[in-house]
Amino acid sequence: MLRVFRPLLALAFIAPLVAAASAADKIRVVATIPDLKALTEEVGGKLVDVDALARGTQNAHELEIRPSLMVKLRRADLLIENGLDLDSWADVAVQGANNPNIVRGAPGRVDVSRGIQVLEVPSIRVDRSMGDVHPLGNPHYSMDPGLAPIITQNIVDALARFAPDHRAELEKNRQAFLARLDEAMARWTRAMEPLRGAKVVVYHPQWIYLLHRFGLVQAATLEDRPGIPASPAHLTRVIRQMKDEQIKLIIVEPWNDVKLANRVAQEAGAKAVVLASMVGGVKGADSYIGAIDHNVNALVTAIR
Amino acid sequence: MRALALIVISMCTALVPAAAAAQDPAELRRQIEQLQKQLDSVTDRLRRLEAQPPQPTPAAPAPADAPPGPGVAAPPPATAPPSAMDLARPRQPFGLYQQRGAGQLLFDMGIAGDFVGNITQRNVERAGGGTFAGQENRFFPREVELSLFGQIDPYASAVVRFEAGEEARGADTSVHLAEAYLTLLTLPYGTQARLGQMRNRFGWSNEVHEHDLPWVDRPNVMRNFLGPEGLQEKGAELTFVPDLPFYVEALAGIFNGDNTTAFGRGTLQHPLATGRIRTFFELGLEHAIQLGMSVASGDTPDRNRSTILGWEARYKYRPDGWLHPLVTLTGEALYSLRKVDVGVDLDGDGSIDRVSKRERDHSGYYAGLEVQPFRRWAGGVRYDWSQYPTTPGWEWAIEPYVSFWPSEFLRFRLAYKYTDRSPQTRDAFNLNDSSARKVDEILFEASFILGAHPAHPF
Repeated sequence: MLRVFRPLLALAFIAPLVAAASAADKIRVVATIPDLKALTEEVGGKLVDVDALARGTQNAHELEIRPSLMVKLRRADLLIENGLDLDSWADVAVQGANNPNIVRGAPGRVDVSRGIQVLEVPSIRVDRSMGDVHPLGNPHYSMDPGLAPIITQNIVDALARFAPDHRAELEKNRQAFLARLDEAMARWTRAMEPLRGAKVVVYHPQWIYLLHRFGLVQAATLEDRPGIPASPAHLTRVIRQMKDEQIKLIIVEPWNDVKLANRVAQEAGAKAVVLASMVGGVKGADSYIGAIDHNVNALVTAIR
Repeated sequence: MRALALIVISMCTALVPAAAAAQDPAELRRQIEQLQKQLDSVTDRLRRLEAQPPQPTPAAPAPADAPPGPGVAAPPPATAPPSAMDLARPRQPFGLYQQRGAGQLLFDMGIAGDFVGNITQRNVERAGGGTFAGQENRFFPREVELSLFGQIDPYASAVVRFEAGEEARGADTSVHLAEAYLTLLTLPYGTQARLGQMRNRFGWSNEVHEHDLPWVDRPNVMRNFLGPEGLQEKGAELTFVPDLPFYVEALAGIFNGDNTTAFGRGTLQHPLATGRIRTFFELGLEHAIQLGMSVASGDTPDRNRSTILGWEARYKYRPDGWLHPLVTLTGEALYSLRKVDVGVDLDGDGSIDRVSKRERDHSGYYAGLEVQPFRRWAGGVRYDWSQYPTTPGWEWAIEPYVSFWPSEFLRFRLAYKYTDRSPQTRDAFNLNDSSARKVDEILFEASFILGAHPAHPF
């Protein structure tokens, strides 16, 4: 019996060592969401080995804390988080990973919201009667390409703490990425120009940064309040508003109820379009620029 | 432009003493040129800042008939130049305190309320044989919990929980310290230590608080072998997560052994020792299974050894993109090896002549299935079978239930539970001339969360 198990046991111990050796010279980074993984890969290049905790199709607000997330975090040098209370679930995963590098307050814990001009910061006292509000402001900034320079700067600073000799290379990677992003931004701005001022309805209020970047206006949400499912009375109000204000588009996240959005759109004579709420959220949105490309094309096609 | 004026005035103020001090006209010219360059540089930066496009307005106006929003604020307008008062204000660390807001707490706080009720037969109430023994046909606060949690410093975190609940029929609600422990987060070699008073990580459900359980009540086997509150002890636990491609967590703990149902010796000279090993596998993105095994071994007050072995399994099927699992299966089994003192009547005169030690190896298990086809609705059923730790007999129960969440922070649950006890339980469940061998109960529960609540593990 032992003869059968001996090779398996040997394999179980050797395999992780081989994997560890191959990744030993790289900075092991885990990002809470795939957008930050994509941006870290852009600036880190060959210096980093990056993984993400959430998948693009998931709701980043409430991730199920599987022990497999703890396996990813067990060996991480750096945990990059979105902050603003979007991914505070990461604390539970970190606690189960027994990795002192990334506990809150350690140098390996990086919040890339630093320097972001946060929108929708509550100016009055908030409570749960307003739904699942974010007291620190809207945390869904990562898919606004205009904020990528700040996010990538924060990532470069964090990576350079682990590889100070490679700061120049990291900065070079960042500049090369930003140059490509600038080029794409010019294209996106041209494509979105005819849509400037158009009103849209969103399912969950997570598009405000993108909408403002390109001059669109969020007129209503399908959710009654953030995180609270829509009541029939609320949907009736939204449909009436869409008809009155000639709103032709509903933006839906891949993880939300697309069927409901389609029904409302049909009633209001509009279209519902699924955008990538994170990199990998829809087919073809596998890179940061690719995801924005998809979203811009989907918006332009839907409103045209 | 006010900023520009301020800069010019500052430059001039700096220039006056410089001019007085400098006697050499060439030196004076050089200083003026240098200041002119600085002024040009500052002016240029200011011009570039002013030329930046204004930030977008934060949110569209809500429709007239929409419910009130959270009062979103506009992003701060283009920063006004600092006034003399601004410049005079204290900087760090006083500035940091002002930024956070006076009196802001540096930890999180949350309250969980859990109210339960049950309706059952009169004979069950008289015999005190319902799920909530002594609280039959009543609605009462089972657990209202105040949780305080956060980082102590960069190296440790802490959790403190106070619980209030009605523990006996009509009694005043009592408050007690449910948990208070610190976790050392930065130990080497993949280890972490927890010290204090805590719910032991023994099996899957023991660690789960009443309001977080997927059923109205704790499974019969857990209540029979570990008491109505489960295993909560004072001591220390050490966990080790090895650096492997799959998840394994090993745990060892030393505790007083205060739990009177299972142990009760209550001294570190004869401590309760616990251990657990758990692992986790993902079968694709949609299927996940957690397996674990636990052990707890300590002494009873009569100095007899009591050892409980536990096995746990939890499976979830969550279709890709779903916000909740569609199917959840949970099961735990306990096997108790316990020595008890038994009085022996050698000569048949009715008096005990000798006390001998006997082995009582008893066991129990439960298995639960939950299906959640909609985000706000779930239904399930749990089957229990359990012996008792030291007395003869056994019981089985079946409990179908339905749960409804109006929001993430509020839940209602309704269940029916049928319990059937074997004839050997006659002594334990036949009080006040009433029998509780066959029990029908309608159970209901209302739970809420106020404030912060940490995410639930798998």
